[in-house]
Amino acid sequence: MALNPLRRRGGLRWFITKIIILVVLFVLPFTGLVNEYWLSVLTRVNIFLVLAITFDFFSGTTLYLNLGHSFIVGLAAYSLAIFNIFAHIPVALAIPLATITATIISLLLFLPSIRVKGEYFAILSLLYPIILISIATTQPFSAYLGGEAGLMSDQLLLGCALKLSPEHSLFFLTTSYYLLSLAMAVAAFIILYKLAYSDFGFTLRAIGEDEELAEATGVNTTRVKLKGFLIASALASLAGSFYAAIKPPITTDFVSPDSILIPILTAVIVGGLGSIVGTAISSYILFIIYEALWGVFGVWRTVVYMLILIVFVVLKPEGIMYQLYVKARKVLGGGG
Amino acid sequence: MSGVVLEARNITKRFGGLVALKNVSVSVTEGEIYGVMGPNGSGKTTLFNVITGLLRQDEGKIIFMGKDISRLPPHARARMGIARTFQNIRVYPHLPVYYNVAVAALAKYRDKKEAHQETLRVLNLMKLLDDAWRPAGSLTPYKLKLTEFARALVLKPKIMLLDEPFAGLTPGESEMLIDVIRDLNQNGMTFVIIEHKLRYLMKIADRVAVLCFGEKIFEGKPQEAVRDKRVIEAYIGGGLE
Repeated sequence: MALNPLRRRGGLRWFITKIIILVVLFVLPFTGLVNEYWLSVLTRVNIFLVLAITFDFFSGTTLYLNLGHSFIVGLAAYSLAIFNIFAHIPVALAIPLATITATIISLLLFLPSIRVKGEYFAILSLLYPIILISIATTQPFSAYLGGEAGLMSDQLLLGCALKLSPEHSLFFLTTSYYLLSLAMAVAAFIILYKLAYSDFGFTLRAIGEDEELAEATGVNTTRVKLKGFLIASALASLAGSFYAAIKPPITTDFVSPDSILIPILTAVIVGGLGSIVGTAISSYILFIIYEALWGVFGVWRTVVYMLILIVFVVLKPEGIMYQLYVKARKVLGGGG
Repeated sequence: MSGVVLEARNITKRFGGLVALKNVSVSVTEGEIYGVMGPNGSGKTTLFNVITGLLRQDEGKIIFMGKDISRLPPHARARMGIARTFQNIRVYPHLPVYYNVAVAALAKYRDKKEAHQETLRVLNLMKLLDDAWRPAGSLTPYKLKLTEFARALVLKPKIMLLDEPFAGLTPGESEMLIDVIRDLNQNGMTFVIIEHKLRYLMKIADRVAVLCFGEKIFEGKPQEAVRDKRVIEAYIGGGLE
């Protein structure tokens, strides 16, 4: 029987490397190496990592570029606020509820557009977040959704749900957010990485390479695409509602393409389309670079950041992080 | 005489003002090799696309194993047992050969284990096991043809539609492919083969149809086709007086 070399397990040294990375990430807050500011930066990195790998899982394999990914995040954020503020559901319970609601609504709304091919899908999907922003900032809905100022209440913060009294230090709060976000990122990464290289993942990739061929050889491409979209949007909704619970007020920043979509796209492009692991690594590296640039370049950091990205993309358009990962794995005896 | 596997009944297909197929009827019996000939642009590939469902006909019906499949989507027709290969070889170039075949198998079989077993079986049959984990884009044209065959065979088809299977192959490779087709045919596989190189069809086809400007102008034994006046005219052009 031909063994699938793509699924060959790594050696002991590779296994130990993975464990060390995980342990370092989980004990980081207790080492004193990072302050509360950097912990909150890393929390945001974990959340954006989930958003980037969910984008990569669906769009990087099928090549249906879902430029409406930030729509799902915004939908989850506003759902959380509505459940919490209007229905008085405690935030810890509102997170799963908002996740389910946003997943179902986004699936129903994307149902018609997922049949539209290629670049037309990309353009169509970009309209979703724009429409949601218009709704949130225009009467009569802006009265309920807070308009530009956004939605805010004391009960919305996850810290309250964690029963944190004022005596609890900032350290305790940021550490618990960080650990929760890290657990979510690790779980999402394992799920999506396994799926992306499973039989289902290869069917998604086949659709990306030649959808008509897949259809002609028996693949119900619409169903497969919907299933991939469902998995990606469920995890993105979870990340979106968690993000909203630790960073209120809920404003259109949770929907806007520039604050959500651009960071995701850059992470995916530098990481390597469809690789999941490359995207995860580049999320970490790029976000830390972006934050570090603040100290040196101030408000000019965006310009410098974009220049770095242009150099990346020109030199290695197929994404650099995935290849670095493959090399590291070889050096550490990971086989394959 | 065994039963009819596939029947195209009075098919008409128009692209705007152009009539690509004009009231074409074809019926293929079990176990035969049925050739479709005709000059470029005569509607051969359009006929395949209508049969497999990639195009919808304007008039007429497609009957497969006694069932009207005219309204079924392409993937349903493929799972029922109509497999095809393409004129310009089509594979997923960045996927390993294994998954080029397995994606079709996983769509066909409910049981994943069965799908993987079938994939290995047809890869072995087409002698592709050594190349199974190379990206399909790195194979030679002949091995790509075999990959297309494996991908078709894994669907356990009742009928295989081959669109110019010998295009891009050397004469030696074409002979090897003819042996593969003959072998499968002797094991009961029905074929419809589009080809405009007559000498290959002369060798293997039981019957041929000749299309010209979307119309069927001949049907019968390949040896008779080359003597038919209308066929000769269609190929070398007539009307010069």
